[in-house]
Amino acid sequence: METGSPIRRHRSFSFGRVWTIATGTLTQLVRMKVFAFMAIFAVVLIGASFAFADLKTEQELKMLKDVSFAAIQLFCMLFAIAGTAMLIPRDVEDRTLYTILCKPVSRLEYLLGKLTGMVLVLVISLGAMDLLFTGVLHLKQRTVVEQNVAELEYRPFRSQEEREKAVAEIIEVATQQGASWNLQAGMAAILAKSIVLTAVTLLVSTFATSTLFTIMVSLALMVIGHAQGLAREVLLDEADGAVLPRLVAGGVAVLFPDFKTFDVLDAVITGTVVPGVEVLKMGGLCGIYCVLYMLAAWVLFADKEL
Amino acid sequence: MSSVPAVSVEQLTRVFRVPGLRRREFTAVSDVSLEVQPGEVYGLIGPNGSGKSTTMKVLLGLLRATSGKCAIFGRDSARVDSREEVGYLPENPYFYKHLTGAETLEFYGKLCGLRGRELRDRIGEMLALVDLEESRDRRLGGYSKGMLQRIGLAQAIIHRPRLVVLDEPTAGVDPLGSRQIRDLIMELKRRGITVILSSHLLEQVQEVCDRIGIIFRGRMLREGSLAEITEVGNRSEIVLEGMTPELMEEIRALAAARGAKWIHDGHPRTTLETLFLEVTSAAAEAARASGGKS
Repeated sequence: METGSPIRRHRSFSFGRVWTIATGTLTQLVRMKVFAFMAIFAVVLIGASFAFADLKTEQELKMLKDVSFAAIQLFCMLFAIAGTAMLIPRDVEDRTLYTILCKPVSRLEYLLGKLTGMVLVLVISLGAMDLLFTGVLHLKQRTVVEQNVAELEYRPFRSQEEREKAVAEIIEVATQQGASWNLQAGMAAILAKSIVLTAVTLLVSTFATSTLFTIMVSLALMVIGHAQGLAREVLLDEADGAVLPRLVAGGVAVLFPDFKTFDVLDAVITGTVVPGVEVLKMGGLCGIYCVLYMLAAWVLFADKEL
Repeated sequence: MSSVPAVSVEQLTRVFRVPGLRRREFTAVSDVSLEVQPGEVYGLIGPNGSGKSTTMKVLLGLLRATSGKCAIFGRDSARVDSREEVGYLPENPYFYKHLTGAETLEFYGKLCGLRGRELRDRIGEMLALVDLEESRDRRLGGYSKGMLQRIGLAQAIIHRPRLVVLDEPTAGVDPLGSRQIRDLIMELKRRGITVILSSHLLEQVQEVCDRIGIIFRGRMLREGSLAEITEVGNRSEIVLEGMTPELMEEIRALAAARGAKWIHDGHPRTTLETLFLEVTSAAAEAARASGGKS
């Protein structure tokens, strides 16, 4: 006769349960064909690689990086919002949440599982776009060098040394602006921003009444997050020691993520090397934001009536 | 059998705030108490909106009680670890449509701590039990309503719970599917698993349940074993073999004198459906008389 559970000591927190929910979320999004948007990215990227052929070596590579990073950032951030916004409301609507929370799964484990699942999806999609982008940039870099070196044939040089110097210059510029490890600092910034946005969206979805509401609020938070650094500076400049504007500025800084702190893309695009410590700082800040937003989400979700 | 009840609900009350500017409240469950012993099949019946699902949700920790206590095998049902003992099938469940039947069971099995060979064996066993072996690799998006209910039942018992809570398990299922689910409940009972069941199909409840509670407008109106609550106390019945119309007047005396065999002496039973309708309409009448206050 089968009359009860085998003896399994219940642990109040289990990474195994979090991972199960995370991989379930990954499978769900993969089977919803969410990666189809990468085909659009590929078209944008290939189009951009042919679009700026009339420009100089440096500008041509910069424009390709500029367009590609903009597209990658846009896709990742919109995807972080749209993908996350439907996770909890859909589980509530379909009552799938009942069947999960009726197992020995805590609400914190559920939330962390959903966050981890979305992070996995972001890492995979960003990784794929990174590979594609780096590959196209590398090819473009080679083509540009070959073309520019070939053009030197028609330029008069006083000596072989002078010609070699011109070739070296072309290679140096292309190397500085082409595929390099520095690009990964830009990718890390986009990933960190998207993860923070995922945590914010998850927080919103714990009290939202619909997916649409979650998307609208999260989009607004994304805009505020990009502008809040600037707004804070203006507010503090004009405050001139007044308490209220300083309190408002402080409140905004605590409540909303400051996405400006992740802005290293301009440096990456211009070819300026981003120090490793900056990348570590972004990672740390991303972690702090995630912990804060997940704690808030947990507090709200723990009391949510299902 | 253990002396600790499988389920113990003591004076459970659940009040909801109605959204809006006025701070109005709605009492979904009021002072409900019930106890289910291990191995019993308990039927909770009542019309829509009577408080069955709310009671079940509080029992499963999905809702908090406004007052009162719920325990599962002696453990406070608000605690996450009490759910190791429980399997739940909600009304009209929608599982992840993108998963296959086997993947669904794997997902829920892993949430319960099952891994490796034990999990694989258990998935095979459950699919065989609910007769879905042939559909194990089909995505749930292509399952019929009856198949979804059966896979739902399989996920509810994947971790060998001692208590299974079924909320309208046959809602929207055709008679054949309904019969299959009834057979599965009987199988759970045979295996010694405690079952709490809510259903509108009173005949089915009567068929499978040992004890029944009738809940109406959040209050438990009647509770007891099937025999107890279907008994009509103010009447008597006589069961005779070989009875003729002439024996009716002086039946007891004549039965012995005419050689009729005395088979049974007791109270006649009404059907559960009749009782349910009588009890709920009387309560509705009483509520109307008192101005709609429950």
